[in-house]
Amino acid sequence: MSTREEQDRIELLQGTLDMLILRTLLFGPAHGHAIAHAIEQGSDDVLQIEHGSLYPALHRLVKQGFLSAKDGLSENNRKAKYYSLTPKGRKHLSAENSKWDRMAQAIARIMRPAGEEGQP
Amino acid sequence: MIFRRKDEQSLDNEIRDYMDRETQLNVEGGMPEEEARLAARRKLGSPSYVKEETRAVWGWTWIERLWQDLEYSGRTMAKNPGFTLVAILSLAIGIGANSAMFSLADALVLRPLPVPHPSGVVSVGFKNSVGGFGNVNASYREYIDIRDRSKSFEGLMAYSINAVGFAAHPGETPHMRMGMLVSGNFFRVLDVEPELGRAFRDDEDQVPGRDAVVILSHDLWEHQLAADPAILGRKVHLSGIEFTVIGVAPAHFTGLDPYFRPEFFVPVAMWPRFVNDPKEKPLEARDYRNLSIRGRLKPGVTMSQAQAELTSISTALEQAYPATNHNQKAFVLSELQRRIEQSPPDAELAAMLIVLAGGVLLVACANVAGLLLSRVPVRSREMALRLAIGAGRPRLIRQLLTESFLMALAGGVAGLAVGYASVSFLQKLQPPTDLPVAVSVTIDQRALVFSLAVSLLSAILFGLAPAFQTTRADLIGALRTAGEDTPRKHRLLGRNALVVAQVALSLVLLMVATFVYRGFRVMIGEGPGFRTDHILMMTFDPGLVRYDQARTQQFFRRVEDQARSLAGVRSAALASAIPMNPTGLDTANILPEGYQFPKGVENASLFSCTVDENYFDTMDIQIVRGRGIRFSDTSTAPRVAVVNEELAKHYWPGRDPIGRRFRLDTRESPWVEIVGVAKTTKYLWIAEAPQDYIYFPLAQHPQRQMTLLTLTAGNPNALAEPIRQMVRAMDSSQPVFDVRSFEDFYQYRAVGQPNVIIRTIAAMGVLGLVLGLIGLYGLVAYSASRRRREIGIRMAIGAARGTVLRMVLRQGLILALSGIGVGLLASFGAERALNAMFSSHGTDFVTYILVIPGLLAVTAAAAYIPARRASRIEPMRVLRYE
Repeated sequence: MSTREEQDRIELLQGTLDMLILRTLLFGPAHGHAIAHAIEQGSDDVLQIEHGSLYPALHRLVKQGFLSAKDGLSENNRKAKYYSLTPKGRKHLSAENSKWDRMAQAIARIMRPAGEEGQP
Repeated sequence: MIFRRKDEQSLDNEIRDYMDRETQLNVEGGMPEEEARLAARRKLGSPSYVKEETRAVWGWTWIERLWQDLEYSGRTMAKNPGFTLVAILSLAIGIGANSAMFSLADALVLRPLPVPHPSGVVSVGFKNSVGGFGNVNASYREYIDIRDRSKSFEGLMAYSINAVGFAAHPGETPHMRMGMLVSGNFFRVLDVEPELGRAFRDDEDQVPGRDAVVILSHDLWEHQLAADPAILGRKVHLSGIEFTVIGVAPAHFTGLDPYFRPEFFVPVAMWPRFVNDPKEKPLEARDYRNLSIRGRLKPGVTMSQAQAELTSISTALEQAYPATNHNQKAFVLSELQRRIEQSPPDAELAAMLIVLAGGVLLVACANVAGLLLSRVPVRSREMALRLAIGAGRPRLIRQLLTESFLMALAGGVAGLAVGYASVSFLQKLQPPTDLPVAVSVTIDQRALVFSLAVSLLSAILFGLAPAFQTTRADLIGALRTAGEDTPRKHRLLGRNALVVAQVALSLVLLMVATFVYRGFRVMIGEGPGFRTDHILMMTFDPGLVRYDQARTQQFFRRVEDQARSLAGVRSAALASAIPMNPTGLDTANILPEGYQFPKGVENASLFSCTVDENYFDTMDIQIVRGRGIRFSDTSTAPRVAVVNEELAKHYWPGRDPIGRRFRLDTRESPWVEIVGVAKTTKYLWIAEAPQDYIYFPLAQHPQRQMTLLTLTAGNPNALAEPIRQMVRAMDSSQPVFDVRSFEDFYQYRAVGQPNVIIRTIAAMGVLGLVLGLIGLYGLVAYSASRRRREIGIRMAIGAARGTVLRMVLRQGLILALSGIGVGLLASFGAERALNAMFSSHGTDFVTYILVIPGLLAVTAAAAYIPARRASRIEPMRVLRYE
């Protein structure tokens, strides 16, 4: 489990979670738990997936055609559902990526104007 | 649900997989097994919540949601059988009344023509009279002129309704059959394909009298010719002329009139050969206006454009043929307009019944709405619970509306049973006649669709407000108090208004029923003004067996003379139209001397009758001035007529009408002198307003078809066979029809038919009242039950039972009285409208005196029962329960 304090965690908004899921799957198919784990680990446990929001998000992405789901066997020989990016999902991810970059820069410019650089 | 099971399983697996992995991860991180599982669970959240959210992403198809809602609704309804039963019964009555009334209105006025695209068919004709039943006819020459000159129509066809003596084989005694003489394009314009054989060719209506070809109706073919498959090419005889059968019309094509069903179709060019009087020139005379014209507008042409064109054509005709076309204006009418013009009483009756049925439905809906509203507190709690666990308000409203729809549908199905029962009763409106005339009141596809629509509409009417109110629950409040709170003012206000409206509507329904009942009673009590008993009627049409004019008149004389000499006969008379017979109407267009009609009106159209000198005595119709028809009023004598008092009063008010003159049809025709005034009687319908009427001497107006009225000392029916034998001895091929006692016929028209209508209206009045009472009772009982605690406290601190009784009763009575007040105002309005129908005036105080105390009594009873129950509350038990 995480070592950080509760208040340091940030719960993810829906659109952001979708983007992170797609990003995680860029490296290859994975099952639900692995995706969630990867997001939390990757963010040093800062990003928390809100209770119960992972599976709805996965199923929504499948429905939108960004992911495909396939039943497979996991390493310990159990049945598991593997999600992978579709070409449409890949395109969507890169669009989301650049949108995110632009938004992050814009927000950063407002939150940290040049003069305030370095202030807490 | 079955088609989700796979998805559900897969989701279960996924979640279990996640839990396992997370647990394992935690164990690997050093937690004990149990704690690891709990932590995993915390991280995931409630599995059922996760599943619910994920399912929401899948999205239910609307069918699945509907099914869920229906299942749930069915369960809710089954849980409250009493409530459901009352609601469904209320709706069944409301919807059933509407199905039946729609079927009647459909049969009388609304049903579309049995042709493809019926709404495109319009009627064209001339009208220049005031009064009469909107004759919109044209002569053959006028038809040709309009057809050739107009550009608004895709096609215009014409037809005339004619009777023939039909014989399937030569030598067979002909039977009277009614059919149509039609233009060659008749079937093409209507877009009707014969079931067998072919339609007419254009050249078959070109040469007068040449093409003796006939298309039979499906009914005639099936019933008179045993559905002979080799019918094409067979010869049949129509009024003694040999015709070749070239086709059979399809079964669904029952003609162009709500009542009359033609049995055969022949080209209009054959018309001259059916005419027995050589002076009649049906294809040439411009004023021989016996054709109806119908057609279809070209796409994009409006009625007003067509009307403008017809106006210019008829103006041109007026200038070209002033002798025959002076003031003849051509009109185009839609099918509905035509039917209303043709028979305004039918349209009025249909409209009145539909409005009444609508009233019953409104009361029924108010009832169900009231029931639903009374369950708002109970349902609110359930709804609050469902809101609390995450259901959306739209979803809940949809759920409640689904319940309403389900209830309405159940009510609709039960209503159809009510409708079927009523319709079999309404079929008694069928006139007793040999003619192919039928009022076909049936619950057909149209009535089914109408009933379904009414059901859905009622669901919205009674379901919407309660649905919104139930889901507007404030969560906490609704959950905490289980519906046992003080009644909220605004909530009861709606129900109070509903009940007031119900009582008011019930009152109006009852009042209308009583007005109509008393109106008919008064009319029937007054009597028709002529003798109805001991008369045998029997109709002859010697033209059917090709008697010429002279022979026909000779035949009538002989029949009458011989009938008079039969044993037991007191007198005999001939008349061209029997009073109260709607299927054999004669009309006359008169131009009284010195009377100025409004611009564009040439004459007045009114009902008339051609009679012989014995008619007034035989029928016991009093001549109040001058004289009746005499034997000496021969064809060579001066032309005379007897008018009724109403006509005399109308055109010569306060002056002696004897010796006054009028012309018939046009300003060129000879003068007719009035020699007598007869008492005004009923002519068409027992409840009709006094109307103008005129009698002509038979010798001066020779007719093809006459009815013999024989007055006997004994049973008139016993005379039927002797007279038949007598006629057979004169000419064995002579068809005789509509043989029945006049009393039977009168009873049917004056008593039977009005009774069906009275009972229908009375039934709606009573149903409205019963439903209204249920509503009032329900509301008082409901609000009393909501005040149980208050009543208990009042009684605990010393209120007497009587006080409580009065308190609850007062509430009910205030509602009832408000309803009666509103209803009274509306009733005055309804009475005005009905007075016009029943030719009565003023206010029928007897009705008010009968109905209002009665309604007060029953509404008081409906309020008393729950009030009494409230006053029986045991205060200690109620308070302890709290």
